[in-house]
Amino acid sequence: MILRGLRRAALFVLALMIVAAAWEFYKAVGPEKGGEILGVRILPRSSERAMPHTWEMGQRLFDPEVRGQDRPIWLAVLGYSWFTFRMALVGFALGCVFGMSLAVVMARFSVVERGLLPYVVASQTVPLIALAPQVAALGGNWGLPKWMWVAALGAFLAFFPVSVATLKGLSTAPAASLELMDSYAASWWTTLRKLRFPAAVPYIIPGMKLGATAAVIGVIVSEVSTGVRGVGFAALTYAQKATSDPAQVYTAVFGAALLGLSMFGLVVAIELLVMRNRPAEAS
Amino acid sequence: MTTRGVSHPVASDAVVVDRVSMTFNEGKSNEVRALCDLELVIRPADFVSLIGPSGCGKSTLLRLIASLISPTSGSLLVNGKSASQARVEQDYGMAFQQSGLFEWRTVQKNIELPLELKGWGKSKRHQRSTEMLELVQLSDFASNMPWELSGGMQQRVAIARSLAAHPPLLLMDEPFGALDEMTREHMQAELLRICAASETTVVFVTHSIPEAVYLSNRVVVMSPRPGRITEIIDVNLGSDRDEDTREEATFYGKITEVREALRGAEAADGPRGIEDR
Ligand SMILES: Nc1ncnc2c1ncn2[C@@H]1O[C@H](COP(=O)(O)OP(=O)(O)OP(=O)(O)O)[C@@H](O)[C@H]1O
Ligand SMILES: [Mg+2]
Repeated sequence: MILRGLRRAALFVLALMIVAAAWEFYKAVGPEKGGEILGVRILPRSSERAMPHTWEMGQRLFDPEVRGQDRPIWLAVLGYSWFTFRMALVGFALGCVFGMSLAVVMARFSVVERGLLPYVVASQTVPLIALAPQVAALGGNWGLPKWMWVAALGAFLAFFPVSVATLKGLSTAPAASLELMDSYAASWWTTLRKLRFPAAVPYIIPGMKLGATAAVIGVIVSEVSTGVRGVGFAALTYAQKATSDPAQVYTAVFGAALLGLSMFGLVVAIELLVMRNRPAEAS
Repeated sequence: MTTRGVSHPVASDAVVVDRVSMTFNEGKSNEVRALCDLELVIRPADFVSLIGPSGCGKSTLLRLIASLISPTSGSLLVNGKSASQARVEQDYGMAFQQSGLFEWRTVQKNIELPLELKGWGKSKRHQRSTEMLELVQLSDFASNMPWELSGGMQQRVAIARSLAAHPPLLLMDEPFGALDEMTREHMQAELLRICAASETTVVFVTHSIPEAVYLSNRVVVMSPRPGRITEIIDVNLGSDRDEDTREEATFYGKITEVREALRGAEAADGPRGIEDR
């Protein structure tokens, strides 16, 4: 168990190093001003401004956010990320509750499933960036803090994969087990609690993994367009200073990556907890 | 001696099957006539075995009695009520062909499932499930997960589950099929003991002629599709059956009788396994 953990950590570091090496390699050989292939500009610029060295990004973490401060920027970024993390967590939790409830309702009433599913799918094509300021403004009218609306937009993206996965999972209870519950004359609700839902758990977990990442994306994107000061907003402000301080924006990128990993790790922890008594092949 | 049903069912009968026919997917191209015009009356505390070639509708008859499906025509009474009412009142316990345990519950919690659904308190449930675990000789595995058990052990858990609430009627579909000979004989003896002590009625599906003869008061012989009852053989080896009974001449005599009835049933409907869809 510990050995496996160590191996995983080593693999993770190795992957990071490969990415860094690839970055440096492209920086060394790539065209300074970007390039075209068949007349389409797709090769990114490898200039100092666009692609700072990886070690510069690393060093930048220990310099202050603005000149003259004592506090290194990594602390500031960590603070922004923590704020964003909490919003994403609230969004994810809301999304899970809503997504699962929706799946239960759809499983219960197939009429609802047929009527609702197209709208659920369509909801995911709504351009979130365009919508976020309006939603936040609306929330402001109701006297709610902005962060709640950012969280709600995270929930809006998170509920979909959870809902789809739960709906699928609820239909996987074996016919023999359903018949058993029938033989006890168990109500639909009891059958859901004792059989359908536990049987759905191995399906819900992957849905939650997708949902957790979607919540992070939703929250970061909404921050940018609503001006809530999390790590997404920090990335935006840092990017505006790219001419003078090109490495700074990458500190925010690191923060966002850490945040995404933490959310994912949280779901993995939940998985280990609820799947600990399941046969190995089901997980 | 052959009894074709009983023409005067009384309210106290455990199971009354009255001119029941069952056709699956009626009117469609994949129509299957599973059972045809069945009549059967089972008295309380009777032990009745259903025997017949694979696909003759034994499981279907059991599920009809359990009111898991409704007959195409005819009617069923269980404990003097309609079959569906008996199901609602949980008048029967059922052990299926597959164990159907819940993989997220421990062995003990699986056995407690019917008790939970009956609303029993925690300590009462625990006490009964512990008793049941002893009965099926799985006390050491109480807190194991079902998938950690062998197939035969899983089947024993399923049997314990069906017996847990001490239902007046037990419906068992080849429950001992996956067990080794010794465990099987032990379970047979235990089942007889429990049923005699609690006056439980049993409808028991099996493929084994000796098992049917050893356990039953009556063996119901069924013909291939569409399933009909061709013969009902009274056995009555007496309530003091033990291991020696299996070596007695009367035991072998009954086995021969059932075997011949089975052969007759198959001959009457042509070669075995013909498809009639
Ligand atoms: N749900 C169903 N839908 C359609 N046909 C069915 C269904 N259940 C059973 N049948 C058909 O009814 C017939 C009887 O099936 P049943 O399971 O009762 O047989 P059985 O006597 O229990 O056989 P076995 O000894 O192999 O368990 C079979 O031909 C089967 O194909
Ligand atoms: Mg069967």
